[in-house]
Amino acid sequence: MFINTISLSNYRGYKKADISFGKSVNFFVGNNGSGKTNLLESIYFLALAKSYKTVDTSTIKTDSEFARITAKITSDKDFSSKIVISKIGKKISINNKEIDKLSDYIGKIKVLAFLPEDMDLIKGAPKNRRYFIDMIIGQFDKNYLIELGNYKNVLKQRNELLKILSENHSKDFTLLDIYTEQLSTSAEIIINLRTRFITKINDELEQMYHYLSANGKKICFKYNPLIERDILIQLKEKYQKDIFFRTTSVGPHRDDYDFLIDDIYAKDFASQGEQRIIILAILLSIANIIIKEKKVKPILLLDDVFSELDYLRQNQLVKYLTTADLQSIITTTNIKDINNSFLNNSKIFSVKNHLIREDKI
Amino acid sequence: MTVPKTLEDLIEEFKKLPGVGRKTAERYAMFIINKYTIDEVHQFSEVLEDAKTKLHQCSVCGNLTDEDKCYICQDNFRDLSTILVVENAKDVFSIEKASEYKGLYHVLNGVVSPMDGMGPEDINLESLWKRVINDQVKEIIIATSSTPEGETTALYIKRVLQETDILVSRIGYGVPVGLNLEYADDLTLSKAIENRKKIS
Ligand SMILES: Nc1ncnc2c1ncn2[C@@H]1O[C@H](COP(=O)(O)OP(=O)(O)OP(=O)(O)O)[C@@H](O)[C@H]1O
Ligand SMILES: [Mg+2]
Ligand SMILES: [Zn+2]
Repeated sequence: MFINTISLSNYRGYKKADISFGKSVNFFVGNNGSGKTNLLESIYFLALAKSYKTVDTSTIKTDSEFARITAKITSDKDFSSKIVISKIGKKISINNKEIDKLSDYIGKIKVLAFLPEDMDLIKGAPKNRRYFIDMIIGQFDKNYLIELGNYKNVLKQRNELLKILSENHSKDFTLLDIYTEQLSTSAEIIINLRTRFITKINDELEQMYHYLSANGKKICFKYNPLIERDILIQLKEKYQKDIFFRTTSVGPHRDDYDFLIDDIYAKDFASQGEQRIIILAILLSIANIIIKEKKVKPILLLDDVFSELDYLRQNQLVKYLTTADLQSIITTTNIKDINNSFLNNSKIFSVKNHLIREDKI
Repeated sequence: MTVPKTLEDLIEEFKKLPGVGRKTAERYAMFIINKYTIDEVHQFSEVLEDAKTKLHQCSVCGNLTDEDKCYICQDNFRDLSTILVVENAKDVFSIEKASEYKGLYHVLNGVVSPMDGMGPEDINLESLWKRVINDQVKEIIIATSSTPEGETTALYIKRVLQETDILVSRIGYGVPVGLNLEYADDLTLSKAIENRKKIS
C-alpha cells in the first residue's frame, strides 16, 4: 500500500502543502518546530481518523475555521480519501462519497507509527505496554477489542461489587461468583490471544533485531500473565484479599511484558539507542506479520527516528526499509550520516516554517 | 440572541426529556405558547401531576398502577403458575400488546449493575422471592434484555432459585444481542417467549 500524494489546507502550521511521495523511503528534513511532526500526524490522522497528540480540533490552523487533508492512496484499488475537520466535527469521504460509520473507514489505510512517546515502551509503566500491545492485536483481530471491552466492563462491575461487599461485610457471594466466572471466561480468551500474538512477534523479532542492531545478541519478548492456568480457581482463591483491597488483584488487566537481551532485562539495562532499536525491531516485526497475514504492506511513519542512533544503526534501518521495499515517511533534523547509495533511492524534502520543498540531488 | 427568561425556563424543562435537544425543545415550547388555550395548559399540568402522584408500583408485581394491585394481578383468568420477569413496566405494555402471554409478571424496575449503584437489593427482587415461596408458581421466565447487565441479572435470579423446584427459563431471543424488549415487534416477542430455554 502506498500514499501517492497528500494535500493539506490549514492543518496545524500548514496553510497549504502538496506533497508527492516516493514509493520507498521519504525523508523530511528540517529544524525544530518546522512542521515535520505535524506532517506525519496528518498522515496518521488520515489513517486513524484522529490525532495522536491532541483533541482533533487543535489540528486546525490557528485563525482558521477548518482543516482539510486529502490524499491519493494505492491499494488493491486506487482511491482518494478526504478528511475535513471543523469545530463541530469531522467529515470523511472516500472517492468523494461521505462515510457514515467511522468503523467502516478505519483500517482502510494501514499505517504503523514510531513516535517519540513510544520510547516509554520499555522503561515506562506496564500500562503503556499493555495499551501498545492491545492496540496492535486489535488491529489484527477486532474480536480481541470486543473481548477486551467485555472484560473491562465485568471488571468494573466486579470492583464496584467488591467495595459493596467490603462495606456490608456480606457473605453472600452469589453475584461475585457470577462476575468471577464471566471474568474468568473473558480472561482466558484474552490471555490466549496475547500469548499467541507474542509468539508470532518472537518468530520475526530475533532476525529483525539482529539486523538492526548489527550485533549477535539475542532478544526475547516475554509475556508474563499473572494467572495462566486454572484462572477461575485462582480468582476464587483471592476473594478475601480482593474484598479487603476492594479491587481485583489478578488478571489480564495487571499483566506485563518484558524485553530480554541476552537474558538480561532491557528495562534495567538497555541504553537509549538500544531501546530505540528494540522498539523499531518490534514495529518492523509487526509490519512483517501484517504483510504475511493481511497481504498488504503498511505505510511506516517514523518520527525523529534517528536521534540517539549511531551512524551504523541509522544506515542499517534505512537499508532494511529500502530492501524490504516498504514505503516509509521519516522525519529528522539531518541526513548527513545516511549513505549516498540509499539517498539516491529516496525522496528528500526540506521543511522550513511549514513550507515543504522537494530536494533534487 | 436573548430569549425571555420565562420561555427559556420552559425550553429547559423540555430539554430534560430523553431524546429532546435544544431545537425540539424550542418547537415544543413555542407550540404550547402559540397553539394551546389556557384550558389546555391547565389540563396538561393536571395530567402531569396526576400521573406522578397517582401512579406507583403494584404491591405484588411492581408493575405501574393507580390502584393497590395492577389490573393483571387482579385478573382471575391469568395463569398463576407462570411469572415473566421484565426490567420495567414498558416491557409489560409491549408484551401485553402482543397478547399471547397469559401468565403473570414481575417488574424489576432495573437491572443489577454495581457500577451504576444497583445491587440485587436495589431492584424489586425481595418481593419476587416472596411470591415464589407463597404462591403456586411453577415456572419463572426471565425476559431481561440481552445486554451484559440483563444477562447477569438473569443468571443471578437463576442462582438464587437453584435450590427450589421452580423451573427457571430464559426468553429465547430471536432478536439481536443488546436489543431492548421495547424495540422488538409483537411477533418477535411471542416467538421469544415460546422459544424460552432452561438456563443451565
Ligand atoms: N493548530 C496550529 N496552528 C498553527 N500552528 C501550529 C498548530 N499546531 C502546532 N503548530 C505549530 O507547529 C510547530 C511544531 O511543529 P512540529 O511539531 O511539526 O515540529 P517538528 O518539525 O516536528 O520539530 P521537532 O524537530 O522539534 O520535533 C509549533 O511551533 C506550533 O506552534
Ligand atoms: Mg517533531
Ligand atoms: Zn401487579
